[in-house]
Amino acid sequence: MRKFICLALIAATTFILIQSCKKSDAGNPNNTGSSFDRKGVLTNISTNIIIPGYTAYQAATVNLDAAVTTFTAASNSANLVALQTAFQAAYKQWQVVSVFEIGPAAQIQLRVNTNTFPADINQINSNIATSTYNPGLLSNLAAKGFPALDYLLFGVGADNTAILAQYTTGANATYSKTYLAALSAELKKNATTVLNGWTATYKTTFINADGTDVGSSIGQLTNQLVFDYETLKNYEIGIPAGIQSMGTTYPQKVQAYYSKMSVQLVLLHLQTIQNIYTGSSGPGFDDYLISAKAQYNGGSLNSAIIAQFASATSKLQGLTDPLSLNIQTNNAAVTSAYTELQKLTVLLKTDMTSSLGILITYGDNDGD
Amino acid sequence: MLQLRDRFNPFFKGHLHIAPLAVLRIAFGTIMLVSVVRFILRGWVTAFYIKPKFHFTFYGFDWVRPPGATGIYLLFAILVLAAILVTIGLFYRVAIISFFLCFTYVELLDKTTYLNHYYFISVMAFLMIWVPANRNFSVDIWRKPDLLVNQIPAWTINIFKLQLLLVYFFAGVSKLNYDWLIAAMPLKIWLPASSHLPIIGGMLTQTWVAYAASWFGALFDLFIGFLLLDKRYRKPAYVLVIIFHLATGWFFKIGMFPYIMIFVTVIFFSENTHIRIINFLKRFLPQRKQTVFNRYQLSPFKARFIYGVLLLHFTVQLLLPFRYLLYPGKLYWTEEGYRFSWRVMLMEKGGTVFFHVKDLQTGKQSEIINSQYLTDFQETQMSTQPDMILQFAHFLAGEYQKKGIANPVVTAESYVTLNGSGSKLYIDSTVNLAKEQDGFGAKKWILPFQSNKK
Repeated sequence: MRKFICLALIAATTFILIQSCKKSDAGNPNNTGSSFDRKGVLTNISTNIIIPGYTAYQAATVNLDAAVTTFTAASNSANLVALQTAFQAAYKQWQVVSVFEIGPAAQIQLRVNTNTFPADINQINSNIATSTYNPGLLSNLAAKGFPALDYLLFGVGADNTAILAQYTTGANATYSKTYLAALSAELKKNATTVLNGWTATYKTTFINADGTDVGSSIGQLTNQLVFDYETLKNYEIGIPAGIQSMGTTYPQKVQAYYSKMSVQLVLLHLQTIQNIYTGSSGPGFDDYLISAKAQYNGGSLNSAIIAQFASATSKLQGLTDPLSLNIQTNNAAVTSAYTELQKLTVLLKTDMTSSLGILITYGDNDGD
Repeated sequence: MLQLRDRFNPFFKGHLHIAPLAVLRIAFGTIMLVSVVRFILRGWVTAFYIKPKFHFTFYGFDWVRPPGATGIYLLFAILVLAAILVTIGLFYRVAIISFFLCFTYVELLDKTTYLNHYYFISVMAFLMIWVPANRNFSVDIWRKPDLLVNQIPAWTINIFKLQLLLVYFFAGVSKLNYDWLIAAMPLKIWLPASSHLPIIGGMLTQTWVAYAASWFGALFDLFIGFLLLDKRYRKPAYVLVIIFHLATGWFFKIGMFPYIMIFVTVIFFSENTHIRIINFLKRFLPQRKQTVFNRYQLSPFKARFIYGVLLLHFTVQLLLPFRYLLYPGKLYWTEEGYRFSWRVMLMEKGGTVFFHVKDLQTGKQSEIINSQYLTDFQETQMSTQPDMILQFAHFLAGEYQKKGIANPVVTAESYVTLNGSGSKLYIDSTVNLAKEQDGFGAKKWILPFQSNKK
């Protein structure tokens, strides 16, 4: 037995020598260990970003629903403009909360029920023509929420006079108004459910799930951040610009096609994702990366991410609404914004996630 | 030579009591039953084998395809039944062969789910096919009392000890490298991720803890097999086994593996211990008198056949973990020769890969949204494994041919970070992967790992 152990020791030593020579220069040997307060991040993000976000969003949907009520009671030009303004305010506010598909929002699948775009015009028109709308149907996902309202408030006529006509003298004027009311009521109901869920109990649950496995709050938040960011990149920019379709562009597939505020919305959306990353003025993911001394290309990963947020933002700022027109006239600018967004994908999805030691998939890992 | 044979023979042809083998059968069967039922209850059968539209098969095993929803659940039903039959020792040989075949088939369906511990289960089940684990304390004996034996050739027990020894030892050897020992990677990333745990949580963010854990882990894996073999150290060693596996099970999401190892390493204990275990279990069963004394006999032909199989098996087991030496480049980066080598929890690797399909006739190209074809789990696994990237590229070429593009050019722009290196370009993004063949040869289109310091 002793011989066995001796043999093993010799074999082991040989291997140390052989393999130690293959120095891989992995990472950061000077890492002093990251003492990081995940609970602090969760408290900050829930208190200062998520709940204020939902509070403002819920208020915006209440306004929107009230504006619909006013408009359906008195369908005139002034009330239409007021309704359009309320819609735009709510759609902007949605960009601030779209990423938080966890807890109460995940339960009611808030994201697809609120913002599945492009809107399915045929489905919307057929709902109106047949005076039927069932919010539970899968086929109605693209016939509800903001994209449907976008069409109904900005797309059913060439100008406001024509739009107004649809709700006053149009063949289906009455049901069109009923449909508007159903859609805004659904947005309000969902927003209220989620806000109440957070303020009642979920905030505590969220803060206390401070591990790093896939079900933990940091795990879920990271997953959603990456997922929602990729949605932004692909659906708000990539697909309309023809990145995924052999160069064939689909300008009508942009977010907010009819209200023509796609660039404004994508900028707000990106800003929210950046706010979660930085924790706004409190602790965020950036603090974790800084304390872990995460590296990128010889510098700090945090600086690289911040710089990439800045270049993506600046490229997007270079675009102008309507984005659909930009795509037709100057698609090179759109695709170059896409390229910057793409670089940020790698940093968030690969570098940030890997440095956090977060598990982003279900299933078991390899054991030891 | 003769001397060596004399020393070797008792380990092989000497006679031992059958109790350890019967206990192993029960332990393995039970833990397999729990594992398979857990897998089903978690919804993984659907998530891994029904939902995906595309599967990453193993090279040479393209013919292994999911048999549809009914078929795959039938396979799992057979696994459950076989695990029960193995545990109670009823129709043992049929049961263990079915278990081995069905389990291995399921594992071959998709390399996304490849885990060393699934491979370990296949290996254990394979070895159990050749031994008479049902010839004592089993329902088979109750059915056919003539089958009862007390003494069995030593090899039937020692092959399992040898297999376990190899698993631990190779796991240890694979830890003897710069990343693990000198940089304390990836534990320096992983341990702080558990800092929310009570009591020890705070310690896990300390650098010295990552070093201590790395070195202890390496030493444990290297020597635990030998310590378990030696009667003098066996008990403390087994206590270490329990502590070590429970601790890793607590820190990392590694499923059933810790419990499987805790169960099967019982084989190292003496026959007296195993007889006591069986006598303890017998208290819960109706009493029967068993006073026969029988030796297990194999016909010379069968014996020679089994020796041949085992010799081949262990030769492969010894060589497989070293095949990586035949490939150029850094193993963790290229992963050529990485699987089936007991390399576990060695690297924190993450990646993102964008595929582009180009039509040479029009010069136009598309970027692929991977999630339209793959599950999150598949995409995550693929993003750091070149053979999977190649497989998906071939799949995409096929998809676009169906769309009418005769010779689609498929390229992968992929970024990978390894043990905190920061993401680097991984695959040569100019290579048309549709034209590259999979195989055992070195993949020239994997870019070399670049050091941070230039």
